[in-house]
Amino acid sequence: MEKADRIHSGSRQAIMTAIREQLASSEPFNSVHEENRARHEAVGLSGKLPVEQSTSLLERFQQSLNAVGGHCTVVRSEAEATETVRQIVAQSKTRRVAISDSPLVGRVLLPLTADVDLMKGSTKADLFTCDMGVTGAQWAIAETGTLALESDVERHRLASLVPPVHVTIIEAQRIRQTLGEVLLAIDEKGRDLSRTITFITGPSRTSDIELTLAIGVHGPAELHVIVLEETKG
Amino acid sequence: MRVSLFITCLVDQMWPSIGTSAVEVLRRAGCEVIFDERQTCCGQPAFNSGYRSDARRLAKRFIEIFEDGKVDAIVSPSGSCTAMVHHFQELFANDEEWRQRAVRIAERTHEFASFLVNVIGVEDVGAQFKGRVTWHDACHGLRDLHIREEPRRLIQGTRGVEFVELENADACCGFGGTFAVKFPEISVAILDSKIAAIEKANVRAVVSGDASCLMQIGGRLTRNGSSVRVLHLAELLTAQE
Amino acid sequence: MAQQTSETFEQNARQALTDTQLRGALRNLADTFGDRRRLALKTVDNWEALRERGRAIKAETLAHLDKYLESFANNAESAGAKLHWARDAAEARAIVIGLLREKNAQLVVKSKSMTTEELHLNEALETVGFFPVETDLGEWIIQLAHETPSHIVVPAIHKSKKQIAQLFSAKLGIAPTDDVDVLTGTARSVLRERFAGADVGISGVNFGVAETGTILILENEGNVRLTTSLPRTHIAIMGIEKVIPRLVDLDVFLKLLPRSGTGQQLTAYQSLITGTKRSMDDEGPEELHVVILDNGRSRMLSHPVTRQSLACIRCGACLNACPVYQQIGGHAYGSVYPGPIGAIITPQLNGIEKARQLPFASSLCGACREVCPVKIDIPELLLHLRAEIKEGTASGTAGEHGPVKRKLIERLAFRLYAFAWSSQWRYELGMKLARVAQRALSHQGRIGKMGRLLSVLAPPLAAWTDWRDAPTVANRSFRDEWRQHLSIRK
Repeated sequence: MEKADRIHSGSRQAIMTAIREQLASSEPFNSVHEENRARHEAVGLSGKLPVEQSTSLLERFQQSLNAVGGHCTVVRSEAEATETVRQIVAQSKTRRVAISDSPLVGRVLLPLTADVDLMKGSTKADLFTCDMGVTGAQWAIAETGTLALESDVERHRLASLVPPVHVTIIEAQRIRQTLGEVLLAIDEKGRDLSRTITFITGPSRTSDIELTLAIGVHGPAELHVIVLEETKG
Repeated sequence: MRVSLFITCLVDQMWPSIGTSAVEVLRRAGCEVIFDERQTCCGQPAFNSGYRSDARRLAKRFIEIFEDGKVDAIVSPSGSCTAMVHHFQELFANDEEWRQRAVRIAERTHEFASFLVNVIGVEDVGAQFKGRVTWHDACHGLRDLHIREEPRRLIQGTRGVEFVELENADACCGFGGTFAVKFPEISVAILDSKIAAIEKANVRAVVSGDASCLMQIGGRLTRNGSSVRVLHLAELLTAQE
Repeated sequence: MAQQTSETFEQNARQALTDTQLRGALRNLADTFGDRRRLALKTVDNWEALRERGRAIKAETLAHLDKYLESFANNAESAGAKLHWARDAAEARAIVIGLLREKNAQLVVKSKSMTTEELHLNEALETVGFFPVETDLGEWIIQLAHETPSHIVVPAIHKSKKQIAQLFSAKLGIAPTDDVDVLTGTARSVLRERFAGADVGISGVNFGVAETGTILILENEGNVRLTTSLPRTHIAIMGIEKVIPRLVDLDVFLKLLPRSGTGQQLTAYQSLITGTKRSMDDEGPEELHVVILDNGRSRMLSHPVTRQSLACIRCGACLNACPVYQQIGGHAYGSVYPGPIGAIITPQLNGIEKARQLPFASSLCGACREVCPVKIDIPELLLHLRAEIKEGTASGTAGEHGPVKRKLIERLAFRLYAFAWSSQWRYELGMKLARVAQRALSHQGRIGKMGRLLSVLAPPLAAWTDWRDAPTVANRSFRDEWRQHLSIRK
């Protein structure tokens, strides 16, 4: 591979040099072009996005999630969450469930060990035999109904991808209004970015055939989000 | 208000009624109109075809003629030609003196409908035309000069008019200058979508702000044996029918 | 289907215009995506401000591309990614083949990437015995059909449900069906096996974040996530122009791209991948290779007009809005990238001589500029390229070549026009002559369809009159009227 490395480092240099040289050639024309462009502009730069004042974060999240074909259930206790999962299991005739290493997920699914095969830390092959995957999520976005999963915080998130049904259990306090807020939260200074961050907005879909919408392509066909509201005591 | 008329070669030679109508409307609106006979062409065909040296020659002549006139504004019954004047500055990227002159002339050059509504605030010129009419948004006027509301207001200010909004009014008619003869099949395919919308609208006349669009649309309508007329906005405003 | 090239654009277009099924599909595309996009824009408070931010971020990045690219590379490498640099398509293909050989790849899966189409990567891999499986539904359909994509975002838009059903029936042995869910379900089950067994995944990159070394890939189907999580090796191909400065800049582009591309607020999945996993027992690939590709892009930096081309975020909105694309579809362009963006980057990537018709195949209506989420002034670029083709230099760019191709007669015609019309008396004389000459052709104030002889003598006029009546030069011009009547009343 030595020769290849030499070629590659030569290429890096060549590309960087090409970029710098071409940018330098552009110099004489830049200011006139920019002036012309700005003159044709008439833009008001507020850039604000609509924020629904009347609905709560949770309500907004529910609406947004429903709009993209996801199902949202709000619960007040882990026991209620367990019941919800039990119902989804029954509805989807699930026998095998892949779970992540989230402690919350572990607790919620524990009472169901009698009803289904719980697979934690599944191999690739096992994942493909599962009917459902249950994970947590580190953030949720109200304006779009999106979930954000960070690989450094929760492992075995492939459970959110391979099985045809994906159930997420998330605490209500993790919901933020906008994508921008979540990007800022993820990019917190002094903390390394998670190696993989996944944003999930509804079940998988395609419009590739005559622009007709089909739900459930390669990712899950069903997305259920169970939101655990904070309760006093 | 003293205005110098930038007639455009197309209107001058092929559609003079647009010019005479425009002069009449401007006079009704209280303007003094002068016409500098030295003018010929803004150079748009050459510019659009890539022959910038030829376009530059005509642009310089235009600037020299029009910066002369002691007028408040230069007004043209063509969105695309007005837009071309605004493009002059691109021809002089290497020549600061001419570039500044180009910028100044552009600032003083206005399209007909935009001038009436935005500069002198006139929407009623005593026009009358009975029947259903629709408006085709010519591309340069719409997208280069942001002219959309002004012609609609002038039409709606015309007594007797029943204004119908055309489906996809802002879709191109397919003219595009030499595009119309370089790629005629594509040009006509685009045109036929426009014609279909016009037929659906069931109107007496299609009105637009650019003679080139009128040529394209009108040429196909007559070839099809249609009785729908094509009118420039200025012609509508003086029709008294 | 025989491969069409951009050099035969005119013929390709003529052929496409006779394809009624294609034109129906294109009408559906224009209407559906047009409506969806318009609705999606309403979900943002100030769309124009957002576009301006997108434009500004891209402009800032491109003006300092070396700095941001360097930053991206260093940060990605710190997180464990291996970076490779490809000056051109041949180098890129060699790098990918080298990696596949090194990994002794048995089964390669691929997610949709226009950059890999640009490289003709699949063809090259197949020649040396690797058979990458496309996993995006639209790409898989055209792979089965041995075709090329006809749209940047929906590659199989030119195919009807029926054609796809027949294709699946022939290639996969299923019973023909009209049911989109069944067709999609078939793709899912067939491709699932590939995902399960794949050892290398190849993807593109939508954005590369300089500040963190992160690559972002967005999608709706889930095949990108599967392609980039399951195999042990992930190869990501990234054009140099994909870099953006900061993680938070993604907020702007994730608002612009899905709305412009498919009318969605967000696509179903976004994967933000920074280097490789921290420990071997984590999920995800063991190795990430990012191939950074120039292939003609750096040249576009040399002038502010052409530099805009690199701002493109590949949303496809310009295709959907273009009256030309709406009539002829993507294959007629004969290039990897069709539509308005294709008309400007194909001559720049492939060489202007190979695609010299494309910049002229536009009515300059500006609909593309209006819908572009990053405000690329495509008409300005088209005019710039036209000048390069006809005169060799445009607004002072350093022309590497003289004019590319122009018919002498056309050049002379414009010279004559500029000469004649730069004087009042020559202009007026010329029009008097035209008035006389047209008497042979005109009837009732119009020129109708012309006979063959005249068509040969004046092809542009015939090109007009074959379909449309032409107006005649008026007997009394405006200036005649002015002199006689109008000037009296001042």
